[in-house]
Amino acid sequence: MGVNVSLPNPETLDLARLQFALTAGGHFLFVALTLGLATVVACLQTRATLSGSVLHARMVRFWGQLYVINYAVGIVTGIVMEFQFGLSWSGLTHYAGDVFGASMALETVVAFFVESTFLGLWIFGWNRFNRWVHLALIWVVTLTAYASAYWILVANGFLNNPVGHREQGGRLVIGDAAAVFTNPSALLAFGHVLAGALLTAGFFMAGVSAYHLFKRTPEWVFFGRSLRTGVFVALPALFVTAAFGGVQFAAMQPMKEAVFSSQVAEVARLQADMVARFGPGDYVPSEGWTRGAGIVMLLAFALMMYLCLAGAVLACFKRAVFRFRLWHVVLMAAVPLPYLAMISGWVFREAGRQPWVVYGLLRTEDAVSSVSPGAMRASLIVFTSLFALLAALNVWLLARHARVGPVESGLGHDERATDRDPADSLTAASY
Amino acid sequence: METSTLEALAVGLLAFFAAGYFVLGGADIGTGMLTPYLGRGDAERRLVLTSFAPFFLGNEVWLVATAGLLIGCFPELEGELLSGQFAVVVPLLAGWVVRDAGLWLRGRVDARRWRAGCDGAVVCGSWAVALAWGWLLAALFSGSVHSPAGGPVAVLTALAVAALFAAHGLGFAALRLTGEPYVRARVLVGRTGRPWQSFALTGVLMAALPLLAGVALPLAHAAADGAALAFLVPALLVVTPLLVAVQACVWRAFRHRVTRPSYV
Repeated sequence: MGVNVSLPNPETLDLARLQFALTAGGHFLFVALTLGLATVVACLQTRATLSGSVLHARMVRFWGQLYVINYAVGIVTGIVMEFQFGLSWSGLTHYAGDVFGASMALETVVAFFVESTFLGLWIFGWNRFNRWVHLALIWVVTLTAYASAYWILVANGFLNNPVGHREQGGRLVIGDAAAVFTNPSALLAFGHVLAGALLTAGFFMAGVSAYHLFKRTPEWVFFGRSLRTGVFVALPALFVTAAFGGVQFAAMQPMKEAVFSSQVAEVARLQADMVARFGPGDYVPSEGWTRGAGIVMLLAFALMMYLCLAGAVLACFKRAVFRFRLWHVVLMAAVPLPYLAMISGWVFREAGRQPWVVYGLLRTEDAVSSVSPGAMRASLIVFTSLFALLAALNVWLLARHARVGPVESGLGHDERATDRDPADSLTAASY
Repeated sequence: METSTLEALAVGLLAFFAAGYFVLGGADIGTGMLTPYLGRGDAERRLVLTSFAPFFLGNEVWLVATAGLLIGCFPELEGELLSGQFAVVVPLLAGWVVRDAGLWLRGRVDARRWRAGCDGAVVCGSWAVALAWGWLLAALFSGSVHSPAGGPVAVLTALAVAALFAAHGLGFAALRLTGEPYVRARVLVGRTGRPWQSFALTGVLMAALPLLAGVALPLAHAAADGAALAFLVPALLVVTPLLVAVQACVWRAFRHRVTRPSYV
């Protein structure tokens, strides 16, 4: 019966960790753009609906198309994530499922269920609904996406900083639900990730727009406006991200902080302290991953700060927006920067709490399922090759659609207006 | 509320969402399985996919919600079930991902070979999901949580369940399609009787599958602690009617038969 009674196979553990890191990391990167772009698209659509402006309606369809392409890969990687806890980490659901599982359940039912249903209505209901109803749809999608991120970070916050629980019969149960749902580790990360997502979307918009302005495509009004939107979204988003990040630095696990700042004496003291509390073992997280990721994140932040500050000034001048080709090149090259910051911040957060899966309560090695290394390896190969293929397709499709620019086909295309409808070749309805 | 009442309600919610997935999700998976039969050629296949495209997102979330309920209300069972059925769940998820990727990406490149590849992904993914469900159900029917079913019983159950998915999808196609694909769907469903009858019958059978499996599961002993249930179950009970109402809107909005392709 017991899944974590026998000692785990070390090979299974390594493979399960690798699979989780690759699939969760991949999923997180898609989510970053989805979450930010959803917000931008919802704002653009609000503007378009209020003013009836054709330019804004076209912006909704173009940026909305890129959002939907990216969403598709986010959703399928997310599906695998949800099942992965039970598949690979049944020791976690066994020991902490009563607390951890509650937020996962609320995420699926209260947030994702609604988000997905409304996204279907938004995509397939274009030109079918009244424009105000259609606007409400994208806002529901955006707000439930936020709710989704919140519940997931409640689950993740509990792993990093377990609060509101008590132990009963060798398992964790909810002691104080309010404490679980207002865990500072969850709330601060929520603010950090939301702002980081907007930052990602801002850089993405600015980079794609810069390509068109650099190439001097005919859509200069469209992309001039989009470039400025991207730049002016990115600047405040960067400062909000940094503010939430800074507060998290102050409230970090002591061991992570000591390893990050290379305080050798402090690391040794905390190690001795933890051995006294939890028994023999290595309680020091990998310095390379923790410190390395933290430094990469801070460097990416510094670089983005200079770009955002300079960009906000340049974007005020029409001549710079349309003619400053060096800036266009820089904006195109900067698209990966928020991704780099996001992924290294995540590695810093998660690698830095090792060897714990629930900090101070459950070790990662005690959480892994009793699955054979062969089965785990097969699953690792299946999911990582599938996700690598999907990620490559996603990048290729995003680049392709971004390069082509706004077109009549695709998202929001009114099928009733087509002359050359492929379905017209079918015989008339015969039912 | 007493813990036993909460546990019973949690089991009820799990059964509701699981049955919802099999009835709704089963329809679009079944139609996906039969796409090569129903639609000959690019345009017809696109029409077949359009028949369920507005629904597939809203349908698959019933399974996501079922898994969420399992991890929230029956966390220990969730871990034991998924890790015990590892070899079955991995192909199920892989099939699901491949199928969804095909649906999402089909219309994004205007090239015949790309669309044919995506159609292949939808068809193969749908078959993989249906067969994996049959294999999983074969284990669950016999109450075996910790190891996948094997032998001829597993093979026969997988084939029978896949056939039921296909029949359900065919009934759905007969209700949604027009033109030649409709005629093909109607041939197998039968010309006599109303098209709703076949779909209703397969729907009842589909709903029965997870319920039969649930009876054999040790759900009553595996529920989460009272504090978690006291928090989750009322919240879920309040939200569920809203979710059903939202889904009813989707089905109403896209109730007409498809005559022309859409976003896919």
